[in-house]
Amino acid sequence: MQTIKLQSSDNEIFECDLAVAKCSATIRTMLEDLGIDENSEDEVVPLPNVNSAILRKVIQFCTYHKDDPVPSSTDDDENKEKRTDDITSWDADFLKVDQGTLFELILAANYLDIRSLLDVTCKTVANMIKGKTPDEIRKTFNIKNDFTPAEEEQVRKENTWCEEK
Amino acid sequence: MPFISKDWRAEGDQWIKTDDGNWERMKVIECESKNHNSSNDESSSSSPPPHCQIILRSTREIAGFNGLDVAVKRLDFKSSVKNQRRFQYICALLKLLVSGEVILTSLSGGAQRILLQMIEEVALHVNNSKQHINTLRDLVGQLRHLVEQENQKCWGKPLGSQNLWFGHLETIERIQNIASQIEIEPNAAINPQLTELPEECIRKIILQMSDHKDLESAASAWSLMAYIIQEQRIWRELSNFHFNQQQIDSILEKMSLLDTLDRHRNWQTIYHTLRKKYGLRDDFQYTEVLALCRFCRCLFWPMTGHPCISESPEFKEKLEKAGLSFESIEKTQLVPPHQFLKYFSL
Repeated sequence: MQTIKLQSSDNEIFECDLAVAKCSATIRTMLEDLGIDENSEDEVVPLPNVNSAILRKVIQFCTYHKDDPVPSSTDDDENKEKRTDDITSWDADFLKVDQGTLFELILAANYLDIRSLLDVTCKTVANMIKGKTPDEIRKTFNIKNDFTPAEEEQVRKENTWCEEK
Repeated sequence: MPFISKDWRAEGDQWIKTDDGNWERMKVIECESKNHNSSNDESSSSSPPPHCQIILRSTREIAGFNGLDVAVKRLDFKSSVKNQRRFQYICALLKLLVSGEVILTSLSGGAQRILLQMIEEVALHVNNSKQHINTLRDLVGQLRHLVEQENQKCWGKPLGSQNLWFGHLETIERIQNIASQIEIEPNAAINPQLTELPEECIRKIILQMSDHKDLESAASAWSLMAYIIQEQRIWRELSNFHFNQQQIDSILEKMSLLDTLDRHRNWQTIYHTLRKKYGLRDDFQYTEVLALCRFCRCLFWPMTGHPCISESPEFKEKLEKAGLSFESIEKTQLVPPHQFLKYFSL
């Protein structure tokens, strides 16, 4: 089985299955474009935006999902599912992490371009937003209220307009 | 024909109080524990997935009677509340039961108690996860309404057992306390924060939402979200998700926007017009819907399946003899919440 070495931002080296690493579109294109020889065992792929703790989790996720069918839809798919509670129990357990780790996973999935991981992490965050009042959303994510009173009034007005029958 | 039955002077069944405050016959408990033990011997701790047999049509020989409390227990609703895939379905059922359509208080005392316990379970789950807060709020509001209604039923007093009602009031009070105490603590120590994510990630999150109310709340919470939610793409995708092309076209025609460039600028208005005309689709909100097996008339959760008579080879043989092929028959039927309640004599 072919393996590949990935280097995290804190210089830890992870050896993982090539098929697992190729879940990441970024690594896939990197390998194709740079033509990194598949025989050169010592080649190390540096990933300066991902630390070792997160990279370990990402590899764990990709190892579990490496045999999943690749979704054929493109990024602009308009009719894609907006269901957010269809997270499998494995994924749900995998994402039982603190918010910081969750956001770091989103950043890593975005950087490494792993769609399934980005989808499931974004769904998890969307679930945290759903059914809450603006104030509760702010508290959940520690967002400072950055509206001026005039802007707040404006947003409120737009919303009441939507509710009109 | 003489009527062969136990003498009416017989002692009757022995009843035992179970852990959840209900009564069960001694012989049933003995039988269950025996089954449990024997299955333990064969394969350790692999009890069959939750399922519940029901009677669809009553005949003279079999009086149709399905107990809601039994089904709730057998289908393992209590722990399903914690299952994200089933949460919405169960809450929809509870809402139907608490709202006026099927009146909670016309159920048997045991069923009433179990349902209130379930709502308490929902409240605890919401409190732990801090998710679906609005669902709990709706339920609590409906409960309050129910209490007001009941209190006036019979000369300023509720009908039926006083003790039962006082028990319910205690549970309802506990639920209300949980709901009113839900407090979200902002945590500044988290690193990175949501606000540090790049815009495209926030957009990705917003695109996952299927309800305009959530979008509006998000827009009022944070200026970046408000900015993203103004984008046409959000509303266009939302419209395409909830409505089919035919509906969209007819609205576009009505608004005289069809084939004009203007339609690219008005998706929010288009969405709200569509919503008022056609209503939102609600089939999507349940990820896992209970299913009914047509062979053994079992209700079960599709994810975990159920032990079915159709799995036995004799059954397939019989089917073939009858000239039917096993594959051609539709084996299961999905049961949406309002349909579920119809199976029970409420």
